[in-house]
Amino acid sequence: MAYRGRRGHPRFAARYRVNRGTLYTYRTRTHNICMVSDFFYPNMGGVESHIYQLSQCLIERGHKVIIVTHAYENRKGIRYLTNGLKVYYLPLKVMYNQSTATTLFHSLPLLRYIFVRERVTIIHSHSSFSAMAHDALFHAKTMGLQTVFTDHSLFGFADVSSVLTNKLLTVSLCDTNHIICVSFTSKENTVLRAALNPEIVSVIPNAVDPTDFTPDPFRRHDSIITIVVVSRLVYRKGTDLLSGIIPELCQKYPNLNFIIGGEGPKRIILEEVRERYQLHDRVRLLGALEHKDVRNVLVQGHIFLNTSLTEAFCMAIVEAASCGLQVVSTKVGGIPEVLPENLIILCEPSVKSLCEGLEKAISQLKSGTWPAPENIHNVVKTFYTWRNVAERTEKVYDRVAGEAVLPMDRRLDRLISHCGPVTGCIFALLAVFNFLFLIFLRWMTPDSVIDVAIDATGPKGAWTQQYPCNKRRGENNMMSKIR
Amino acid sequence: MSAEPETQAEEIRWQKVLYERQPFPDNYVDQRFLEELRKNIHARKYRYWAVVFESSVVVQQLCSVCVFVVIWWYMDEGLLAPHWLFGTGLASSLVGYILFDLLDGGEGRRKSGRTRWADLKSALVFITFTYGFSPILKTLTESVSTDTIYAMSVFMLLGHLVFFDYGANAAIVSSTLSLNMAIFASVCLASRLPRSLHAFIMVSFAIQIFALWPMLQKKLKARTPRSYVGVTLLFAFSALAGLLSISVVGATLFALLLVSISCLCPFYLIRLQLFKENIHGPWDEAEIKEDLSRFLS
Repeated sequence: MAYRGRRGHPRFAARYRVNRGTLYTYRTRTHNICMVSDFFYPNMGGVESHIYQLSQCLIERGHKVIIVTHAYENRKGIRYLTNGLKVYYLPLKVMYNQSTATTLFHSLPLLRYIFVRERVTIIHSHSSFSAMAHDALFHAKTMGLQTVFTDHSLFGFADVSSVLTNKLLTVSLCDTNHIICVSFTSKENTVLRAALNPEIVSVIPNAVDPTDFTPDPFRRHDSIITIVVVSRLVYRKGTDLLSGIIPELCQKYPNLNFIIGGEGPKRIILEEVRERYQLHDRVRLLGALEHKDVRNVLVQGHIFLNTSLTEAFCMAIVEAASCGLQVVSTKVGGIPEVLPENLIILCEPSVKSLCEGLEKAISQLKSGTWPAPENIHNVVKTFYTWRNVAERTEKVYDRVAGEAVLPMDRRLDRLISHCGPVTGCIFALLAVFNFLFLIFLRWMTPDSVIDVAIDATGPKGAWTQQYPCNKRRGENNMMSKIR
Repeated sequence: MSAEPETQAEEIRWQKVLYERQPFPDNYVDQRFLEELRKNIHARKYRYWAVVFESSVVVQQLCSVCVFVVIWWYMDEGLLAPHWLFGTGLASSLVGYILFDLLDGGEGRRKSGRTRWADLKSALVFITFTYGFSPILKTLTESVSTDTIYAMSVFMLLGHLVFFDYGANAAIVSSTLSLNMAIFASVCLASRLPRSLHAFIMVSFAIQIFALWPMLQKKLKARTPRSYVGVTLLFAFSALAGLLSISVVGATLFALLLVSISCLCPFYLIRLQLFKENIHGPWDEAEIKEDLSRFLS
């Protein structure tokens, strides 16, 4: 999964690069970027791998990138990953679901020290569930740094908890320079939730490394049809639907098998179904998978089934399609945007509709009208690449770097006018306190006293000078992902 | 993506897809932006008198609490003989019991399969035990100060009103908790009455008005809505009359409360419906509408 670097391109020079014959990239400046999120290795998931892969590609493009997250058990302090990617594991208290507690103030001394030490110019926060990401945005605005936020998830509007979190998101994003969403549906959702101007929201999809997900048709048995499911077994991923589909289809097709990878609280109902219908030899439950094993599971199947009830982007179906599987999925969230109609069968989120979709896939498979895995792979691998993501993210950085950060008085105005009279005033007051705290910290340890960190990546990067031809796929297992 | 020459861009229509590189910038906002947004798709239209009719459940329960407190006050002052209350209670219970079966022609009884003998047995057991334990009830709270008892009763009766099952499907509703709180309040208040016979009759009256009466009401409401409205009005007026004989100010306030709950609140509910803005769209979490338990049973 680590990025395969193509190295040695000129770094400072203005660069003209041709991509697909139409795109001209013109770049003269590099940025010092700090990615902030509560979620990073050793935690596993979509956000974590997104941050890692994006950082690697930005390093390759000549930027300086550091990552800030909270300490995971005894993984604390500073660590270096592949290509000198520096990660700060800060000693902040974890509150719930790997998200840190927030007081809006206590992280300022540490974060300010890092931002000054690393000469950071752009703060890029990830995930609306991460308290640390929002804290960093708050402090960065107080310090006058440019801010970018990536939203990875969808939210509803109906219940009390989403009303509250949406209000907090409004506060956090009202003076953020630019927001990135992973799909158009996600953009609509974020614009509505945070009452944003849609012009400052960009859509940049996630990506998968196509070299990690290659087809291998010899690994599957053609006498039987195998349906693969790889997801966390939780309610939001539609495991309940799966428990209805399995008996329905197994009764109808005697030569049909299921392979289910993943772990979660809903595993028990799948085990009950397997017990009840005596399907032990036909339904295999693999348990938690490491990300590097996912491909080996995928290639054993003919059809990939995704039963999610909500999804902003859904990397799993891209990975499966990249392995040459037929994809059957529920039509929810951003999923209809991800794959073209001829590569995916979309169904309503009900057992009946999903069974119909699977039967259609099975009949296509039997009649041989479905393209060969290799052909599907060759089409899909052009869709989403991390290089493309990095290129587009870089454009956002370029745009943001040219914008002015709101000075304190206008920021307070914006907070009060944008977030409602009560919430706005409360957070304006907090912003003032934060500013006073910052002045106090600057008086205690002036910026000039803080050492400048050794630059591992980026334009005079210590790492790249020492190992100019470093091409190994270091930390291969680094981003292995458990679902 | 950087923009292509404009002439070309005009010909190509923007698609809501991610897999194609489109000649639009990443922050491009198309006309189709938010076109799938829907508002208030599950909103219900209310009619004024229907809401007023439904609010009578709350009115009934408020009146029950009021009647209970008034009766207790009369007993405490010695204005109401316990024998008389017991006699009336027993008679009205019998009438209610017969009415309960008559209303649906004995259909509910046949479904539950419960015999009259079983009803009689549980009634007897209950009366005997309450009678036997009433001296204990009387002395149970002697060491507790009277003010504490009153405060506790007020909280318990308020709790009874909060947790009562008015027919709403909410997490806070719990008819067991609600009934328990009412009985607790009645035990507290009964312990302040002059004799243990008073205490026994007070607790059995509480059971009648908080446990049995709502069951009969529910059936009345479902079967004969017209007579239910009549019963509610009668009940409300008798509660008011009872309160009036104790305190004029209290009765006025209680009347205002009843009017605001049955007339003003429905009016506000319907007015506020105009401001409802419930947003729905493709980002909503899908609901599983089928019953999936059939695969496991």
